[in-house]
Amino acid sequence: MDVIMPQMGETVAEGTLTVWHKKVGDNVSSSDILFEIGTDKVEMEVPAMADGVLTEILVAEGDTVAVGTKLAVIEGTGEAAALSPDAFEPEAPKADPAATPVPVAERPERDRSMKLSPVVRKLLAENNLSHTDVTGTGRDGRIKRGDVLDYMKGGAATVPTAPVPAEAPGAVSAEGITVVPFSYRRKMTAEHMVRSKATSPHVLQAVEVDFSGVNKARQAIGADWKRQEGYSLTFLSFIAKAVCTAIKDFPHINGHIEKDHLVVFDRVNLAIAVDLNFEGLVAPVIRDADLKTVTEIARATNELARRARAGELTPDDMANATYTISNNGSFGTLITAPIINQPQVAILSTDSITKRPMVIEQDGEDLIAIRPVGILSQSFDHRAIDGSYSGAFMRRVKEILEGKNWVESVS
Amino acid sequence: MAELTYREAVIEGIAQEMRRDNKVVFLGEDIGKAGGVFKATVGLWDEFGDLRVRDTPISEQAILGAAMGAAMTGLRPIAEIMFSDFLAVCWDIVTNQIAKSRYMTGGQVDVPLVIRTANGGGVRFGAQHSQSVENWAMMIPGIKVVVPSTPADVKGLLAAAIRDPDPVIFFEQKALYATKGEVPDGEHVDEIGKAKVVREGDDVTILALALMVPRALEAADRLQAEVGISANVVDIRSLVPLDTQTIIQQVQKTARVVTVEENPRLCGWGAEIVSIIAEECFYDLDMPIVRITTPHIPLSSADELEDEMIPSADRIFETVRREVD
Repeated sequence: MDVIMPQMGETVAEGTLTVWHKKVGDNVSSSDILFEIGTDKVEMEVPAMADGVLTEILVAEGDTVAVGTKLAVIEGTGEAAALSPDAFEPEAPKADPAATPVPVAERPERDRSMKLSPVVRKLLAENNLSHTDVTGTGRDGRIKRGDVLDYMKGGAATVPTAPVPAEAPGAVSAEGITVVPFSYRRKMTAEHMVRSKATSPHVLQAVEVDFSGVNKARQAIGADWKRQEGYSLTFLSFIAKAVCTAIKDFPHINGHIEKDHLVVFDRVNLAIAVDLNFEGLVAPVIRDADLKTVTEIARATNELARRARAGELTPDDMANATYTISNNGSFGTLITAPIINQPQVAILSTDSITKRPMVIEQDGEDLIAIRPVGILSQSFDHRAIDGSYSGAFMRRVKEILEGKNWVESVS
Repeated sequence: MAELTYREAVIEGIAQEMRRDNKVVFLGEDIGKAGGVFKATVGLWDEFGDLRVRDTPISEQAILGAAMGAAMTGLRPIAEIMFSDFLAVCWDIVTNQIAKSRYMTGGQVDVPLVIRTANGGGVRFGAQHSQSVENWAMMIPGIKVVVPSTPADVKGLLAAAIRDPDPVIFFEQKALYATKGEVPDGEHVDEIGKAKVVREGDDVTILALALMVPRALEAADRLQAEVGISANVVDIRSLVPLDTQTIIQQVQKTARVVTVEENPRLCGWGAEIVSIIAEECFYDLDMPIVRITTPHIPLSSADELEDEMIPSADRIFETVRREVD
């Protein structure tokens, strides 16, 4: 089989053979890197794409030759090896789609079972999946559109006629352990969390907030609210309102980090993390939350949570958030260090609010009073802002929550 | 609703429009006293008389030339070309005159005429009287192409074609003339340019026209019953204008598409539609597009060979079963 200089892109006519990784007489297999080439646009390693023995090298290292020039000869079984499954990865080299290497004169026959249809490639790419995640139930194990959709709906496809993929090491069921395969949502969450931690240097800051003022408002209208609306008016809506108000003074909190710059938004699209009864986490968005009142935020939050639990959210409901609040208060946690919802600048956790003895000053005298107190903690991305900015923002949130006349704002 | 045959629906559609508008006239070979060679015009001459229902000499060029002149001077003629094969005889008048006049006069001249013609095979008429030539007509800019598969569509679309301000070629499939179906009572006018989903299914969309629609439906029922494939069947109904929205929606729904065409394979209407699908929704496809057609050869007059060449319900069933996994 002749090895030829591959076309590296439509506008590239020649390339320089920079390194031979094999010498005449070496055994080569199809996945071995055979040589490297460079052009003015790109450098790349080229695999042999065939099994056999390298019998001839016709172009020396450093030579620049035209595309299509015969570079070497591999003699072997005469049959080209099947392309590796990696060749069908939807996220294969993205830089220049025209630069697919074609180093051998004959293209090997593709394994039919590995054929991915356009819609399957699209679905896999859009959802960050690999074809290896999905079990194909079509002819010869082909992955059909329905297989990907089934996988996304409820984890691994379970079709008895399909070949069972080998289980990953460590995932073998045995006595005393239960293997819990990650659902699609779990995988997506895992990927996002790892990426966020790898991307953003997180810094955690927390403030202690006295919620007495908020509580007065809740006591003033809480009973009527619950009767009319069917759910409680929680602290969350007040905290959200205070955050939106504080963002007006600290706009860089409300942004997205893009490469080397910060995009700051005029409006606050507030994501609220909703737990799906331990089955995962979603963060639907209250649009223009800064234009909403406390009660409007309460209604919007309740509606999003209801739709989230009913499985009615669409991708649009999750899109374009500018800041996120994660509410862990109901579990009685004291403080939570949240992970930033990329590409946002910061995320706030609200934890339990409990009655505690507080030292307060009244008429020049220090007294101990019983107050509802909770900790607000924010993780911020140190690339975008510093601790002073974040800290000042947190102080502002605390001031608003403690100082504002909330009874007035809900009546 | 009354049950009519496809041929009775032709009569009803023409009569409905001739009663409504005395500018509607009808001309062709043996359409008058004889009631048409396919008996699809029986009773019209009796009702409307010599002046409005005219038998012509055996000259397709004369029929369409006269119809065009009548249309340009204020009438709304319906012209019958007995066999669609003979459109070839008058192609200059159709393609160079009728289809172009509105454009070449800058919109000053309308040509509101309908060319009705018996199209397609399956009735042992041999190569020159059995062709399915809707694809010829589809290629001509400036003319609408309507191809109904049911009596209700014949009546409603024929009425719409007669009322249309532009020339329409109306292909009636001769093997369908005896088929029956419910037709709405009273005035019935449909809309040209709308495809119809005639059977809902999830696994594959079958696009069909005319005689291929009942065959696709029969195949779809068997696919469901015998192999559990749920086929979605779309009656294209109109090639020009083509309802690309419905076609693309339905293809996106099932991600798989099969065309069933009676016209010969090369440049059949399915080729045009699949090119649109490939351009517009390639990334929604989960299977290579499949075309089931008559082969690109003159149709045989031998019974067995004619049956072999024109796509049958069996062929549709087998092909879809083989291709859909």
